Order: sequence, then C-alpha cells, then structure tokens
Amino acid sequence: MLSLFIILPLAITVIVNILPKKMVYPLIGAVVGMVALVQMAAVFLPVSQPLEIMRSLGELVRWDLAVDSLTLVMLLSIGVVVAVTVLAGTQLIKDKEQYFQFANLVLLTLTGMNGVVLVRDIFSLYVFLEITGVASFILIALQKDSDGLEGAFKYILFSAVATIFMLSAIGIFIMSAGGTSFGAIQAALQASSGNIMVLLAIAAFMTGLFMKSGLMPFHGWVPDAYEGAPAPVSVMLAGVVTKAVGVYTLLRVVYSVIGFTPQVKMILMGFGVISIVLGALAALGQTNLKRLLAYSSISQVGYIVLSFGCGTALGFAGALFHMFNHALFKSLLFVNSASIEKATGLKDMERMGGLGSKMPLTGLSAGIGALSTAGIPPFSGFWSKLVIVVALWQAGLPVYAVIAVLASVLTLAYMLMFQRKVFWGKTLEGFQQVREAGFGLMVPTIVLALAIVGLGIGFPLLFNTFMLPVDRLW
Amino acid sequence: MIERLILWMIGAPLLGGIVLLCLPRRLQAFKSLVSVLLTALTMGTAAYLYGKEALFTIPWTGFGIEFSLRLYHFSALILACVSVFAFLIALYCSVFMRGKKGAGLFISYVLLTLAMVDGAVLSNNLVVFLFFWESLLILLFTMIAVEKKSAFSAAVKAFILVGISDVCLMVGIAIAGYLAGTFDMSQMHLPLDVMGSVAFMLLVIGAIAKAGSMPFHSWIPDAATEAPLPFMALLPAAIEKLLGIYFLVRICNDLFQFTPASGVSIALMVIGACTIIFAVMMALIQKDFKRLLSYHAISQVGYMILGIGTALPIGIIGGLFHMLNNALYKSCLFLSGGAVEHQTGTTNLEKLGGLGRKMPVTFICFTVAAVSISGVPPFNGFFSKELVYDAALERGVIFYLAAVIGSFFTAASFLKLGHAAFLGPLNTAYSKVKEVSWRMALPMVVLAGLCIAFGLWNALPINTFFAPVLGGEPAGGHHAMAGFPANTKLVLITVVVLICALINHIFGVQSRGSGLKAADHIHYAPVLKDIYERAERRFFDPFDIGLKSIGWFSRALWMCDRGIDWIYDVGTVRISAFGTRILKRSHTGNYALYLVWSIIGMGFVVFFILRGR
Repeated sequence: MLSLFIILPLAITVIVNILPKKMVYPLIGAVVGMVALVQMAAVFLPVSQPLEIMRSLGELVRWDLAVDSLTLVMLLSIGVVVAVTVLAGTQLIKDKEQYFQFANLVLLTLTGMNGVVLVRDIFSLYVFLEITGVASFILIALQKDSDGLEGAFKYILFSAVATIFMLSAIGIFIMSAGGTSFGAIQAALQASSGNIMVLLAIAAFMTGLFMKSGLMPFHGWVPDAYEGAPAPVSVMLAGVVTKAVGVYTLLRVVYSVIGFTPQVKMILMGFGVISIVLGALAALGQTNLKRLLAYSSISQVGYIVLSFGCGTALGFAGALFHMFNHALFKSLLFVNSASIEKATGLKDMERMGGLGSKMPLTGLSAGIGALSTAGIPPFSGFWSKLVIVVALWQAGLPVYAVIAVLASVLTLAYMLMFQRKVFWGKTLEGFQQVREAGFGLMVPTIVLALAIVGLGIGFPLLFNTFMLPVDRLW
Repeated sequence: MIERLILWMIGAPLLGGIVLLCLPRRLQAFKSLVSVLLTALTMGTAAYLYGKEALFTIPWTGFGIEFSLRLYHFSALILACVSVFAFLIALYCSVFMRGKKGAGLFISYVLLTLAMVDGAVLSNNLVVFLFFWESLLILLFTMIAVEKKSAFSAAVKAFILVGISDVCLMVGIAIAGYLAGTFDMSQMHLPLDVMGSVAFMLLVIGAIAKAGSMPFHSWIPDAATEAPLPFMALLPAAIEKLLGIYFLVRICNDLFQFTPASGVSIALMVIGACTIIFAVMMALIQKDFKRLLSYHAISQVGYMILGIGTALPIGIIGGLFHMLNNALYKSCLFLSGGAVEHQTGTTNLEKLGGLGRKMPVTFICFTVAAVSISGVPPFNGFFSKELVYDAALERGVIFYLAAVIGSFFTAASFLKLGHAAFLGPLNTAYSKVKEVSWRMALPMVVLAGLCIAFGLWNALPINTFFAPVLGGEPAGGHHAMAGFPANTKLVLITVVVLICALINHIFGVQSRGSGLKAADHIHYAPVLKDIYERAERRFFDPFDIGLKSIGWFSRALWMCDRGIDWIYDVGTVRISAFGTRILKRSHTGNYALYLVWSIIGMGFVVFFILRGR
C-alpha cells in the first residue's frame, strides 16, 4: 500500500503522456490536483502497515518503505503545497503546452518527494533525491528566461557538489556496512565509531544535506533559484522541495543513521543559529520581494535545524511542527507574491505602495502569513516557535533560546518592512486599476490563511496527533 | 443550585454588559430595557440568596490561588444592597441618559460594574478579589470619561489616585499572603505585629481609597462635575462605599486580629476624623449642587472609618449601619440633584432657586435625605451617627468632638443647599419646569422611604443585618444598640448642635441676604478665608502636590526611557543595519565565492566531527 504513494503519481505521469493531447490538456491540472488531494486524505486513513520491503537490485539494494509521524507530516505538507502549486499555475502559466509540461514535472517532483520521505534505505533515498532535484531544475528554468536559467544553473551546480559529497559518503557507508538499509548502516557506524574514514563520510554527507537545505553558509543558490523560478514553482520549492530533499533528509539521516553525538548536536545548532540570524539580517536588506522571502526561508530552516539539534523529543516535535507551519505560511506568502506580480507585473518592493486598498484579500492574508512567520499569537507559527523555545530551554540551552526569541524580532522587522512597502500607505500612481488576481490564486490564498488561523486556534489537534508521537520514536 | 446562582450573580451582568457593548447605538431603548430587566433579575437572585451559605471553589492558577467564592451572611448582605442600588440606577438611567452621548456605553458599564462588585464581594481568595477590584478601576475610568471630552482629565486623576491606592493594596495582599501562607480569606487571621501592621495599613489604604476617604478623595469633586450624574449616585456615593467599607470590615474583623489596643486603630480613627472635618468644611462653601454633594460623599466616609477604627463592637456596627444609611440618602441626594439637572439643565446654585413648588416630589425626597444625613431624629442617619459617637467618646473626647463638629457643618451646608435650590425666589427662566417622570422619581422615593423606615425600625437593620457580622458577640456588649440610643446625654448634645446649625443658618441668611450665602460668614472668617482660598486653588490636593513633587523623578525616568528607546530605536537598528550591509556586500552573485563558503562550512563540519574521535 505504501508504495502507492510513489507508484500512483509515476503511473499517472506515464498515462497522461500516452493519451492524446486533446483529451489530456484540459484535464491535466485537475488530475494533478486530485492526486495531491488523495494524498492529503490518505494521510488521515490507516493506510498501511508500518514497514514494507521490496527488493529491487537483488540482495544489495532493498526498497524499505515505512511511515511514522515525521513521514506523515511531510506527506501532508507535500499534498497541500502541490495542490496549491497546480492551482496557482492555472493563473500564471497561460500557454497550454507549457502548463502540460509544468504539471508533468510537478507530478514527477511529487513522486520524488514521496519517495524521499518514505524510503528507509540510503541508496533509494539518493535516487529519489535526484529525481526530485532534476525535476526541479527543469521547473525553475521552465520559462527559459535568463533569471530562471541562472537560478536553475546555480541549483544544479550546488546540487552536483552536494551529490558528490553524498555519493562518496554513501560509498563508504555501504563498504563498511555491507547493506544499504538505515538499520544496517547505523549498526556499522556504531561499531566503527572512531574510524576516520567513517567520520569523514558523515561530515561529507551532512555537508551535502546542508547544501540541499540551503543553510547559511551553504545557501548560495537559494535566493537566485527562488527568485528566478516561475511564481508557482517558487511556492513549491520554498514550501516543500527544499524541505523534503534537504531538511527532512537531514532529520531522518541524523535521527536514524548517524545518531545524536555531542558533535553532531553542536554542528546542527551552530549552523541553525547562524542561518536564523544571518538569514534574517540579509532579508532586511532585500528590495526584491521573492528574494526577501527566500532569505526568510533560510532563517526559518535555521529554526527547524536548531530545534532538532537540541536532541530532545520536544525539540524534534517543535522542528516537525515548524516545518509544517513553514510549508503553510511560506507557500501563502509566495502565493501572495505571485498575486502581486500578476496584478502589477513587479517584484521590486521599492516601486510598490498602498496596494492594500486595491488587493484587500492579498494584503490581509499576507499579514497573517507574516505574523505567523514572526511567531505572533494566535497564528500557528506562534505555537511552533513557542515549542522550539521551550524545548531549547528544557534542554539546558538558554542562550540558544534567547537568540531564537530575539531573532523573532528581526523576523517581525523584515516582515513589517515588506507589509509597509507593499500594502500600507497611499496607493501609488499607476496602481489605480490594480485588482485582485483571479480564482486560481485567491482560493489557495484563502485556504492557506484560514489554515494558519485555524491551526493557531486549534493548535493541539495537529500537534497531539502528529508531532507529539515522535516521543514514541525516541 | 446555590453555587450556580452565585456564578449567575457575576456572570449575568458580565455577559449582559458585554453583549450590550456590542449592540449598535440605534437599539438604545432596547439596551435600557435589558439593563433594567437584568438588574431586576440580579436583585431577585440576591434576595433569594440572602441568608444562605455556600462555598464555590475551582482550581485557578495554582500556587494556592484558587477561584474561590464564598457566600455567607455578610457578603450576601452587601450583595443584596449592591443589586438594589444597581437596579434603581438602571431604572433612573433609562430616562436620565436618554439621548445623551455615550448612554449605551454607560449602561453597559453599569452592568459590568455590577458584575465586578459582585465578584469582589463574593471572592474568598485575596488574589481573585484583587482581580475583580482592579477591574473596577478600569470601569471607573471609562465611566467618568464616557460623556465629555473634558471629563478625560478628571478620569485620569481618578485613575491615578485610585491606581496608587490599588498598588498599595496589591503589595498589602502580597505581604499578608506571605505572612499567612495562604490567600484564602476565611483562613487568614494575622496578628498585628510590625509586618502585620504594615500589611494592614496597605490593605486599609486600598479599602478606604475605594470608599473615597482622604487623602485619596480629590478625584471625587472633579468627577462630580464632569461625569454623568448617575455615575456619582452609583459609584462614589453607593457601591464603592459599600465595597470599600465591606473590605475594611473584612480586614479588621477577619484578616487581622484587630483590637482597640492596636496602634493602627488610632491611625484609622485619625484618618476618619480628619476626613469628616476637612471634607465637610469644603462642602460648606461649594456653589454647585453636585460638587457640594460630592464633598459630603467624602465626609460621610469619615464617620464609617471612625466607627470601625474604634474596634469596639458598637463602633463597627455603627460604621456599617452608617454605610448603608449613607448609600441610601447619598444616592437619593444625587438622584434629586440629577432630577434638578434633568429639568433645568444646570446644577449651579446661583441660577437655581424656588424649585420646591415646581418639583414637590423631588423636594420632599431631598428633604428627607438631607435631614437623614444631618442626623436629625428619627431618621436613619441619626441612629447610626449616635452609635459612632458613643464608640468615639469611649476611645477619646477629641474624636467625639470631631464627629460632632462634622455634624454641625453637615447640617449647615444642607440647610444652605436646600434653601438655595428649592426655596427662595424662582428664577424666571425656570417658570415652566415640571416634575420628573415616574421612572426617575421612583428610585428617589424608594430611597427616601428606606431612610425613614430604617430610622423608625432601626432594630431591623442593626439586629438582623449587622449584628451577625461580628459573629460571636452580637448586639450585646454594654449597650443595646437597636432602639432609641441609650446614652441620652449624647442625644441631647446632638439636638443642641442641630439647633445651633439652624440658628447659624438663620443668622447667615439674615446677614448676607440669601440662602446661598448663608455660610459666607464662615467662608470669609479671618483665618479660614486664607485656608479656603488655598484649598480652592488645590493647594492641598494630594494629586496636585504629587504631580509637582514628582517632577524631578519623572525627568530622571524620562532620561532612562530615552536611553532605552535609543537602544531599541537606534542602537539595535544600527547594529542590524551594519550586519545587513556586510551581508549584502558579500553576496556578489559569484558562484565560485558561494562555493568557497560552502567548502569553508564543510571544513567546520569536518573539524567538529573529527573532534569527537
């Protein structure tokens, strides 16, 4: 059953490409949307046995699939964000042929991400990472404009370097363990804990994942890729792709393979704090809306890694919760930026002003997203940041907790700057005719904003069902 | 069942007030109707609850702070009195506030105030009590400021003065809770040692400031001229007195082992005596109906504090009885002032006069209330004052003298007020003035009727209401308290003093020529003239004195504040802007550079991982 999460989107990709174009073109968006909705629904069903093993390449490469709360949360966020992406795409990609390609690639990315979060062996993990990566490269460059090509190229470059690190590490892991499943490698790593080659492999693997998650100072590709990508692709990239291939994989590998040694904790928390603070400071200096959101993403990833790095169950739960919240509010903000771009044709905040009166829904929802990012109650972001701070404090790391709180102020500062420049004040000349973007952008805007408020008010619902069960993993 | 009704006493007005706040202004008539019905219901509930006992407790914040309500004899009594007043005021408001600005807000505030007062009276935990008590402070502010812009400064003054006393109360509660190891009011019975006395005085400051005693009184006359009139009748005259004196008695009787031997007893009596004299002297020279009454609202508290401060059963019962009487006649007086204002549009005594024939019901009610407050037998004020006199005399002649002199000036000022407003020649502008409608008249008539009833049948309130408050030693003591006062010498002195006041008035009228100027010979007496002049210039107003003397302190704080602001507004901004600038400059878009950063980062990862070997 679990393999359906991977096989179904893959099969649909194949089918839609076989069927005649006339039949498929009008339906493709709806089909992908349905797949995403089914995935969201499936998360809440008792779908599957916890562990499923399939053998692909004889004894050496097995395909272990499993679910736990971490996987479920990721599957849910992937479903939500992919649905939002295809819906927003209908508004922003008018060319039929291009939309078809876009939808196909989104499906492929979905396949890859589902694979990443489900598999439990290191080689398959690598394969799915690459599937996701390659699909995203093309998505970023979809419109063949220079920004998109530049962003895609940077992403490819960094991904290639990261891949080299990870692949060499995987080689060493397989050599020392003789198998690829997480359990086998974990046992082998523990047995040879002092071995310098193994340690170097761990370092290389973690570096690769840091580059994929875009933590500072491994973040060089993030702003360009997010900015250059077409608007709906940015939503997906920021919302789930980098989270699945980078942050989720980091969490999974550290948790089930490498293990929490004091050094690993120190590395995670150190880079987490650096990303939080520097990401926020860099966001303050941006004039381009999408770049601001990209740096904000870096900063929020810092929170997730910091919380995870403290090494307690509550920290894990906080990281997980913040990852889900991030998927919601960052997708919302990118959808807002897409609406603005569609309505005004601009990405530069310096040339906007007073759009709030012309685009009230966008303005309001962007406010909700911004406040949730900054961790203001009653929005959902408040709770995850609260859990993170509490977890850090309980883990005996008050300094990190204080930094996390203070950095929230920086977050609020750049988010308010964004609000003020774009929405507040008098409407500028030339924006008199501006109106809200259409249905395809407004529906996700409203749904995501409501989800943020609803989750903020009904915070125990999700937290108790999905996040707290990580206790059992411990 | 009773537990639920207790919650209803707080919840119904609270919810009603909130709902009315949300309704639009158009529904003014509906709002009035709802408020009257709700207060009537609460009144009925309070009547049903009278004589019952209950304890309602649910855990609250922890640390020994439980949401605990206790209904017993005393709280049920105050609850009943409060709800009667709230009902009468709501009824009166439905006419008086009609068409006025902020009428809808005001009526909601009345309901909210009722809820908070009920909560404060019922609470059995000092922290819960504080919660309700402080809510009243906010409502006090809003009620004063609701009608006019100019009322804002009066509201601020009230807020600051009462707020300061509430801080004292809060500190007192903290100390008392620390000493007793519990915040449970029914388990507290602290000795009055040094720390105990400090806590006692802090709590007393909170209580008497709520009751409007000196030196926390000076907002009352200001509010009297600025706030809507029913506010004065409701809060300073009736409910705040009930609440303040209720808490004072709880402090003296329950929370502390208060005896005549304790030093704080003298302190209380001194506060009481000073309040009586100074406030009544100020009342004497006022030329505005409401302002004159407001000084009496302060002065009468002095009697209650004096009576309770004696720590003798007769004094405490006298003080409590006086509290009830004062609430009755003072509200009645304020309401009659409101009736005059409603019909003529002014409360300035120089313009009024001769209204007695035009507004006979108002005049009669006013007269009954005025003779009650002056302590004329057989009205209720006479009996409570006699009890206080008796107790004061036992503790010291000086206190007795202060009380009697206060009585003299009270009588004199009410002769002046009645004469100036209702007798004498009628101002031609008011020749068409008519009596007020029944909804405004009814509260006055009821209150005046109660003044007479509690005078003639004083055994009812004294023996059934107040004697049980003292618990073990009821009306016994060394005098029977109900009935005609046992000490006939004191009664004789009282009567002589009242006659003196009348003679004084006639003398004043003849020498100065009008009722309004009947007290001028005292106003402009050699030494008093200067003192009065300074008092009128607010020379003795603790609020103004405080404002002046606090100047340097606030300047120092201002400097501190600027410094902190600088850290926030300039310092942090500069630091973060500096960081932002460096980051921006280093992001050149050069791939190689970005990769180099990654490699450096990897260097750190490798370094840290290898350290674990």
